[in-house]
Amino acid sequence: MKVSFQALSRHLDLAGVTAERVAEVLPMLGLEVESVTTFGLAPLPLVVVGEIKSFEKHPKADRLSVCQVDVGDGAIRQIVCGAKNFKAGDRVPVALPGTVMPSGFAISISKLRDVDSAGMMCSSEELGLGKGEDGLLILTPRQPALGTPLNALFGAPDTVLEISVTPNRGDCLGIRGVARDLAAALGLTLKPLSVKTAAGFAAAPSAADAVKFVRSSSEFCPYYMLRTLKNVKVAPSPEWLRRDLEAAGLRPINNVVDITNWVLLELGQPLHAFDAKKVSEGIEARPAREGEEIVLLDGKKVKLETGVCVIADAQRPLVVAGVMGGVDSGVTDSTTEVLLEAAWFRPGEIRRVARRIGVSTDSSHRFARDVDPAGVELASRLATDLLIELAGAQVVGPAVVVGKPPRADVTIELPAGYVAAKLGTPIADVDVNAAFARLGFTVKPSATGFSVLVPSFRSDVTRPIDLVEEFIRIHGTDKVPAGRPIAPLPGDEDALTSVFTREVSARLVGAGFTECCHYSLRDAAELERTLGADKAALVAMDNPLTAEQTHLRASLVPGLAGALALNLSVHADPHGLFEVGTVFRPQADGTVREFISVAFAIVAEPVTRSWKSREAFDALRAKRLLQDAAALAGVASVRLSFAAANGGLWQADHAAALVDRGRAAEGACGVLDLRWTRSLGLKSSVIAGEVCFPRSAFAEARKIPRFEAFSSFPPVTKDVAVIVPVDIAAAEVESRVRQGASKAAGKEFALESVNCFDVFTGPGLPKGHRSLAFEIRWRHAARTLTDEETNQALGVVIATLEKGAGWTVRR
Amino acid sequence: MQQQLAQLVAAATQEASAVATRAELEAFKARVVGPNGSLTQVMKGMATLSKEERPVVGKLINEAKKSVEELLAALLVKVENAEIAAALGASVDPTLPSPDAPAGSLHPLSRTRERILASFRKLGFVVADGPEVETEWHCFDALNTPADHPARDMQDTLYMPKAFRSADAPRKADEAILLRTHTSSVQVRTMLSRKPPFRIVAPGRCFRRDAVDATHSANFHQVEGLWIDRNVTLADLRGVLDFFVKETFGADAEIRLRPSFFPFTEPSFEMDLRSPNLGRLSNRWLEIMGCGLVDPKVLELCGLDPNEWSGLAFGLGLERIAMLVHGIDDIRHFYNNDTRFLRQFA
Repeated sequence: MKVSFQALSRHLDLAGVTAERVAEVLPMLGLEVESVTTFGLAPLPLVVVGEIKSFEKHPKADRLSVCQVDVGDGAIRQIVCGAKNFKAGDRVPVALPGTVMPSGFAISISKLRDVDSAGMMCSSEELGLGKGEDGLLILTPRQPALGTPLNALFGAPDTVLEISVTPNRGDCLGIRGVARDLAAALGLTLKPLSVKTAAGFAAAPSAADAVKFVRSSSEFCPYYMLRTLKNVKVAPSPEWLRRDLEAAGLRPINNVVDITNWVLLELGQPLHAFDAKKVSEGIEARPAREGEEIVLLDGKKVKLETGVCVIADAQRPLVVAGVMGGVDSGVTDSTTEVLLEAAWFRPGEIRRVARRIGVSTDSSHRFARDVDPAGVELASRLATDLLIELAGAQVVGPAVVVGKPPRADVTIELPAGYVAAKLGTPIADVDVNAAFARLGFTVKPSATGFSVLVPSFRSDVTRPIDLVEEFIRIHGTDKVPAGRPIAPLPGDEDALTSVFTREVSARLVGAGFTECCHYSLRDAAELERTLGADKAALVAMDNPLTAEQTHLRASLVPGLAGALALNLSVHADPHGLFEVGTVFRPQADGTVREFISVAFAIVAEPVTRSWKSREAFDALRAKRLLQDAAALAGVASVRLSFAAANGGLWQADHAAALVDRGRAAEGACGVLDLRWTRSLGLKSSVIAGEVCFPRSAFAEARKIPRFEAFSSFPPVTKDVAVIVPVDIAAAEVESRVRQGASKAAGKEFALESVNCFDVFTGPGLPKGHRSLAFEIRWRHAARTLTDEETNQALGVVIATLEKGAGWTVRR
Repeated sequence: MQQQLAQLVAAATQEASAVATRAELEAFKARVVGPNGSLTQVMKGMATLSKEERPVVGKLINEAKKSVEELLAALLVKVENAEIAAALGASVDPTLPSPDAPAGSLHPLSRTRERILASFRKLGFVVADGPEVETEWHCFDALNTPADHPARDMQDTLYMPKAFRSADAPRKADEAILLRTHTSSVQVRTMLSRKPPFRIVAPGRCFRRDAVDATHSANFHQVEGLWIDRNVTLADLRGVLDFFVKETFGADAEIRLRPSFFPFTEPSFEMDLRSPNLGRLSNRWLEIMGCGLVDPKVLELCGLDPNEWSGLAFGLGLERIAMLVHGIDDIRHFYNNDTRFLRQFA
């Protein structure tokens, strides 16, 4: 909403108040000022009226003319000019040397392509007057005297403030509303609005009216007013009216349309003018009928949704109510009889319809924000005044009104001391009430405090808490002191997801990984790779904005693989990358569950050459990181099992899927599918890992560990090596060793650990077999174990192992 | 005797130069000071000497013994040095670069988030969280956002299809499921599940149906705060925000509360920040967060009696704060994951 300083001055006396001050005050009232611009001609004392006496083509440039110009000081100046739209004898603005143009360009005596030039003749745009005709601003029709400063021809410049109005402040979509707030803030008085046309209305048209009926049968139009104006002379608007509209960013059209727009800007109440001769019989606000269509003013043909409110005559819809008029019932140059509409439409419906048909107009914007029902009649009368004054219109009788204002002023019961209590600082009620009075509210004492009467132009103020906001806007937020800091509430802890995120990130940063952050929205191809086509469809969005962001991510790994490729492509060594974030995974029951995921990725071969080589990062180091991450989430390593990962993001035979017995974690680690990573431009293979936890895994507070006593006697260690077929997983063999070793310990002593320390394939072993060697450690709580006991225990382990088909213990 | 001892020491010294290993040292030691060692033999001869000779010869022997012990100690050092050198291999040039990768680093958004959370923790706010895919009720209805509010539009908010069922945010009725547009939904969940008083901060990822450019991103991060208690006032809001801003931007940063409008707070404000330490953005008011007192209607919708409870709420954009703190000019840097960017904040 553009509001000019001069427009505000119509409503309150701004003597001694600068535009800069207004631009400072408005934001603190909740009216954000987005820009402050000068409208009209800035002070340019050295720009004067000159006459082009003669001109000829520039000897060295086809597009330039060399002009002889008289500015009335007795000398003829030579000025080189690039415009084409003038003739000898034309009067034009001439910027004399020393002028600084609004663009900042300084005019001096100079040469243009070797020809002397002593000034510049100006276009409308160069003078900051907006885009006019191409070429020079021709002043000839105004017949100005030579040498007249241009500022004497044009009025004083105005300042235009572009204000961003929040949706609750429909009243500030009219200049008077902004002026009212400004007056309240500055302690000024709003000037009364003078309207000559009499109030009063008739319930039905008289014979003098141009219509036979005015009706409303739409629930969205509870209040409608129509006035006939005859002998209207449609013509261009006077200068001041054009100027006001242009300052507000509107294009002048003709006096009738311009008047309705001017009143809209002034009061925030949209009006509509029909050419009465194009209206058949009468006007009705009614629901659109099935199949009805309308061609709007902007030329767009709209099929009307059944039931939307239209303003129609006896035959057809003329206007989409409150939104936009039709192309064939509006005022044109030949119009002589005007029907002036002023109405109130239901805000929500206007918003819905405008969005539905894809148009937003000054009218729909205001109706959608609940215009003041009490302003409907006022706007109609003000526009009538102007139509009489500027278009010679004649009023034939009172306006015809159907329905009644849908809401009135509201009384709020405000308990004594309420405002001060909400602010948390002492404020006397008398000061509070004074602020309300400045806003145009009426305050009366009541039994429990005050009754505050809020006029209908403030539909957003209905409750005591709304009055607190009104007070603080006028009082100033800077006058509320900062409250004292408060003590924490004992026992409150951060959500465990947050604790986990912090801890697991620290673990990975310590391991040399750099944290990344990727978009959650991914494309279909990525999700199909991650989940398969069927499941990918379950995480597709309904209304994606672009084809690259159509699905919710199910894994952080693709983002990281992409980041590795990006960094290598710009010759930055990524080392390891990781991310912690939410992923979305379809579940067996058809729901989609959110998981907190931790993922990392690293290229297997070092990127940067080094004088000393290190062992490469491999799948089993990835496994360790996953186990550590799981432990931080409260999932102990013993609960996790690893099996071969199949397909998707992972390379067959070189990756493992992680399964948690307690179903609080899932994931995978190992080499990423080599064809895929190569297609990303990664030459080396990529090692990655990801572990995900459902939110429920973080629901319970962590248990505080209890101390367990340990033995002070030495342990006994025994080794056992077993030859098994290669397709037997190491975990299965280890589990068998544990089983035997703890059975052997019984209740007498305890198995402390089983550790796989050697894996061997090669000479000396049967084909298709490998040897796994384990170190078993037992300990007694109260004494040293004897050789006899431990040898016997080892015997039990060996016996257990040899029950396996094709398993042989090496001796 | 004196001559004999001198010869003995001289012979031992000469022999010692050939000792290189611990075994040779032990053999040498036996030859000199062992039970049958040369020096031991001389000492045994003391018994045959007269009373007068003994002190003189004793002195000579002690001198010889001392020389031999010094010789043995020096040999031990020599042998141990050789052993250590053999165990450790060649010496290290400490000026060579370490072949290991350096420690990683946290993403600047994580850093900024942790810094913000840390300052609110000091004021007794604890972290709360909730699902990113939400019901329309939690995201809009419960926050007093009218059914026809533009924010709910398909143009501005990302929705999931009707068939979509979230395990984390089940529908209350048949409302739409959407990608949350703010973390205020966590405030709603907290009010519904906890008994006041409480103070929470909810950091998290949010989504808008925005095309990506230098200042817009389809997903972004917020930190929102909520304090529900008896008699929470505007002065409290000012106190909390003033503290946060001074923690984050330094003691010379100042704030102002500019009246604004949100459906879920009344009164509502935009909080502006002004600081002398923000590069080219120094010393001018910058809008950085929305805030206000919780609208009584919201308390009611979330099952709290507005006559008993009151609250304050605020919300800020993590990207915006990180951009201000670090002087970052384009939001896309956060999501590009070029390590030349990421490592600058290590």
